[in-house]
Amino acid sequence: MPLSPKEAAETLTSVEQAARRSAQAFGYRNASPYLILWGLIWVAGYAGTDLRPEYANLIWAVLVVLGGTVSFFLGRHCERTVGTACYKGGWRMLGLFALVFAFMAATYSIMWPVHGLQFGAFPALLVGAIYCGMGLWLGLRFVVTGALVMGLTLVGFFFLREHFMLWMAFVGGGGLILAGVWFRTV
Amino acid sequence: MEQPDPIIHQPVRLRIMSALKVLPTSELIEFVRLKAIVAATEGNLGAHITTLEEAGYVAVEKDFAGKRPRTRIALTNQGRRAFENYVAYLRDIIDAQPTTFQ
Repeated sequence: MPLSPKEAAETLTSVEQAARRSAQAFGYRNASPYLILWGLIWVAGYAGTDLRPEYANLIWAVLVVLGGTVSFFLGRHCERTVGTACYKGGWRMLGLFALVFAFMAATYSIMWPVHGLQFGAFPALLVGAIYCGMGLWLGLRFVVTGALVMGLTLVGFFFLREHFMLWMAFVGGGGLILAGVWFRTV
Repeated sequence: MEQPDPIIHQPVRLRIMSALKVLPTSELIEFVRLKAIVAATEGNLGAHITTLEEAGYVAVEKDFAGKRPRTRIALTNQGRRAFENYVAYLRDIIDAQPTTFQ
């Protein structure tokens, strides 16, 4: 028996819902290694800054180059194994990082001089906002992760100023790692 | 298409096909992940995947990830075409209904 228009519309809605859930799960899975990687970099970077603040610029320069390079190869690997998805992989991922760091450098330059805590908090707030924005398209878990990163950064900035870098290392970096693991559970 | 494709026209199989269709062409999805997406029990999902595999709509790949056995599923080209035809069939029905003006 042919379907009625109402039944056809309901079936189409069911198709769209399943497709949306699947696309979200795919997006989470692709984002997971990046979250874990950058969580580790945050742990190393902020902990290193806390221990040896005089080398903070060098520590972060090395870690950012390392993170960008590994992210590039993660994207290339995804392109090879999955195909054309993976946010279009390596080169675009590298472009995104270049854009983010250019934006941060430009912001610091017009706001200079900035305090050490501001220097540490701004990238985390920016990353949190980017995740929240991505979540509007890619799913709620990105929004939750971004909001947590921003919230925890502000808590550390205003209430734990003495230990802000350690806070960011273990709560911020650890949070990103946990979010990466959470993203793999879909 | 006079009648809906009986292989796809079943709620769980429809969700399976929808979930697979949205992935890139060469992407395989793990059984456990698919189970969570389509909200089916293991036995139920397995039975429906077998039906889809026998129709040539999905390909099933079994291997090991380390020491853990792993089952992964992908949409075949035939399955992709059948699903597109099915969705076109639904859209035709919806588009064919007379428009009412209030």
